[in-house]
Amino acid sequence: MTLLRIDDVYQSYEAEQVLQGVSFDMQQGDVDVLMGPSGSGKSTMLRCINRLTEVDSGDIWLGDTHVTAPETDVNELRQDVGMVFQDFNLFAHLTALENITLGLKRVKGVHAEQARERARGHLDQVGLGDQTDAYPAELSGGQKQRVGIARALAMEPKLMLFDEPTSALDPELVGDVVAVMQDLAAGGMTMLVVSHEMGFARSAADDIHFLDNGQIVESGPPEQLFEQPEQDRTAGFLSGLQADGPQ
Amino acid sequence: MVQTGDWVFVLSNADTLLFGLVVTVVLTLTSLSVGFLLGFPAGAIEVYGDGVLRRVVTVAGGLLRGTPIVVILLVLFFVVSVSESAFITATVGLGLRSAAYQSQLFRGALQSVDEGQLEAARATGMGKLQAIRHVVVPQALRRSMPGFQNEFTIVLKDTSIAFAIGLAELLTQGYNLFTQSGRSTAVLEVFLVISAVYFVLTFLTNRGLDRVSDYYAIPAGENR
Repeated sequence: MTLLRIDDVYQSYEAEQVLQGVSFDMQQGDVDVLMGPSGSGKSTMLRCINRLTEVDSGDIWLGDTHVTAPETDVNELRQDVGMVFQDFNLFAHLTALENITLGLKRVKGVHAEQARERARGHLDQVGLGDQTDAYPAELSGGQKQRVGIARALAMEPKLMLFDEPTSALDPELVGDVVAVMQDLAAGGMTMLVVSHEMGFARSAADDIHFLDNGQIVESGPPEQLFEQPEQDRTAGFLSGLQADGPQ
Repeated sequence: MVQTGDWVFVLSNADTLLFGLVVTVVLTLTSLSVGFLLGFPAGAIEVYGDGVLRRVVTVAGGLLRGTPIVVILLVLFFVVSVSESAFITATVGLGLRSAAYQSQLFRGALQSVDEGQLEAARATGMGKLQAIRHVVVPQALRRSMPGFQNEFTIVLKDTSIAFAIGLAELLTQGYNLFTQSGRSTAVLEVFLVISAVYFVLTFLTNRGLDRVSDYYAIPAGENR
C-alpha cells in the first residue's frame, strides 16, 4: 500500500528555488534515505510533509490525507507524522519522561498516569528506561536524540521523518542512535531519513534518493546507488562521502 | 545631629511609620500585579502579534518608558483624575509604568527560548497557542526572574514617589512626623529609619525571590 506520495513538489524561499519538481512514493514499511549536498533541499522536502514548510505547488498524500490541501487540519496531520530533528529540540524545562507525556496529554488527551506509563515504555524501547527523570541538559547528545525519537514514536505516527538525526552527534554516540533507528526499521516503521550515515543506509534503506539543486537526480536501492550509480553527480558526491567516512 | 530625644520620638511614633510601611508594601504588590497582568501579554504581543495591536503596544510602551514616573502620577491625579483615591491613582501609574518595563523583560525572555522547541511542539500536533503556553512560557518565566527581581526592587522604592500626590506611604508618613512643629531636629533619624526599612524590605524580597528561582531552576548536568 502506498503510504506517502510526493507529486511534483515545488518550493521556494524568497527568490531561491529550493525544490524543483520532486516526486517519489513510499510503500508502508519502506525506509527511504534522502542524500545530497547541503542546500539541495533535503530538509525542506521533509518539512513539507508535515507542513512546517508550505509547498508552492505539487501534491503530497499521506494515505488518504491530502497533506497539501489548504483545508487539511495540520495539527491532526502532524499526529500521523513523527519528526526527529538534527538539534533534538527537546523541551529544556521538562524531564525525558515529561518531554514524551506532554504531547500525549495535550494533543491526544491521554490521562496523566496512562501517559507516563506509555512514555516509560517508549523510553525503554530506545534504551533509556533508567533516564526518565533526567533533564535534557543532563543527557548526552545521543541520549537526547533517543528521547527525541521516543517523543515522536509516542504519538504513534504512520510515518517517521528524521532530519539529519546523527549529524550533531560526536562520532562515538552515533552508533546508539543508528541502532535504535535500525530496530525501528526492522519493526516495520515507515521512515524517511535525511542522512549521510552510510552504515544506516546500507543496512536499512529500501531506496536512496539522491537530491541535488532541488531535484531527484537518481533513486535506487543502496547497493545499486553506492556500487553502480548511473549519474556522474551521484557518483561524485558519494565517493566524496565514502572518502570522508561516515558523517 | 543625632539626638537621643529624637530617637525616642521616632520610636514612639512607630505606628505612624508602620501604617506607611503597610501602604508601601500593598502598593508595591498591587502595582507589580497590574504591571504583570498587562506587561506579560504586551511582551507576548510584541513577539507573536502583528498589525495594529502590536503597534499600539509598542507605542504605549515607548511613551510610558519615556515619561518620568512623577510626571505620570501628577498627570493621572491632577489632570486626568483617574480616581479621587491617591492609592488607586498610584497603583494605576506605577502599574502602567511597570507594565511597560515588564513587557520588555518578557519580550526578551520569550525570544530567548530556542525556536526549535516551538517547532518540535508544533510537529507533535500542538496548536501555536498551546505550544507557546506549555513549552515557551514556562521557560521564559524562569529566564525573566533576574530581571523581575530588579523590577520588584525598582517598584518597591518608587512607591515613595506617590509622596507627590499625598499618598500616606512610608516616606509621606515619615515626612509628616518631622514636619510637626518643634520636631525638625528628627529629620536625620526619620530618614535613617525609613532607609533601613526600604533596605530590609528589598533585601528580604530579593532573597525570597532567589529561593523561588532556585526552586524552579532547570537542572543542568555536565554533559552539554
